[in-house]
Amino acid sequence: MIPRLTCILVTPEHTVVEAEADFVALPLDDGELGVAPRRAPLIGRLGFGQVRVRVGRKETRYYVDAGFVQIADNVVYVLTNRALPVEAVNRAAAEQQLEAARKLPLVTPQQESARDRALRQARAQLHAARRA
Amino acid sequence: MPKARTLDKRRASIRNIRKITRTMELIANGRFRKALDRATAATGYAWRLAQLVATLVESGTTVRHPLLAATPTTPRSCALLVLTANRGMCGGFNAGVIRLALEHYTQLSWRCPQIAVDVSGKRGIAALKQRNLAPAQTFTQFEDRPAYHAVQTLADDYMGRFLRGEIQRLDVVYTRYFSSTRQEAVVETLLPLASLGESDAPDHGTSPAGTLVEVLPSADSILEEVVPACFRIRLFKCFLDAAASEHIARMVAMKAATENADEIIRHLSMTYNRARQAQITGEIMEIIGGVEALQS
Repeated sequence: MIPRLTCILVTPEHTVVEAEADFVALPLDDGELGVAPRRAPLIGRLGFGQVRVRVGRKETRYYVDAGFVQIADNVVYVLTNRALPVEAVNRAAAEQQLEAARKLPLVTPQQESARDRALRQARAQLHAARRA
Repeated sequence: MPKARTLDKRRASIRNIRKITRTMELIANGRFRKALDRATAATGYAWRLAQLVATLVESGTTVRHPLLAATPTTPRSCALLVLTANRGMCGGFNAGVIRLALEHYTQLSWRCPQIAVDVSGKRGIAALKQRNLAPAQTFTQFEDRPAYHAVQTLADDYMGRFLRGEIQRLDVVYTRYFSSTRQEAVVETLLPLASLGESDAPDHGTSPAGTLVEVLPSADSILEEVVPACFRIRLFKCFLDAAASEHIARMVAMKAATENADEIIRHLSMTYNRARQAQITGEIMEIIGGVEALQS
């Protein structure tokens, strides 16, 4: 019998989800990663995006704000700064953030990376809001 | 002996005070439970993060990061963050933190020419103003339920200043929550970070040693993000500990106040009864005196 995954989504404030799942998709920093049961142990860096948790045919999406993932023994630990169901993502706020990010200064390399980060975050939120 | 009526009035006002302190005690109790739950959740997160670092180190990654750089023995400029409450009525909570902060400030000022003092909480701001110490930054928005994103902004600001070399050291003075019976004001050096793991975190068993772990995209890229995350959660933990300690301090103070009020009420009741009896006796004596005067 194929074991099931346990998906645990934690933020510093509380545990958002702790549930069994058949499949979990994670937004890694450089692209999406699908995790099925019996995945080899892994540590990964998350980007801004959506975690998809599939149980049977039902799929739940969560927006996560960067962080890490550790997979071991069929347990997927997602550590993130912020996690919320995609339905709860505030679209207007995301649009405002995108506008604000576009106006950030672009002189030093640090500023460039900060701007890039803010842009990616805002776009990921917008994307999540559209999918909801 | 005071009049029975004035005693009764005083007793009524103390009863009112008792009602207030009792309510405050109950409220603090409820808030303390919530604050403790949040602190536990943050500890869980910090522990997971420490596990992740441990696994990385086990797989042969050397941990190197500018935030971990060895501190120069004589830092040119430091930042001191003092966490106090916005409100009083919590016993020695604020006084303890402020006393320690001032002691630490004096010690630090011998070695470090430039110290920026940042204060959170109205009580701390007022206390420093009284001592003619102008804080560089003041915060009153953290209240008793510090939100992570607010602390994150603050943490990012400190990290930016540290990386740009504006500060070489960050010390936080706060009340650490050890257990429900023990909270102490402590000084903790958060920058440069001493270690990545929670040194005193409860050991829930070690990660499976010797397993090969895939690291995506690369160990360096993860470290680049893990170290700031560790710092943020440490700072957040300081805020949560301070909040939990504040509530427990208020609970204890208000419990003592309620008990004292009970004691005073008991005492006043006794005096009141005596005064009333004396008054009645006096009146009877007067009547008897009057009757006797009429008879004679």
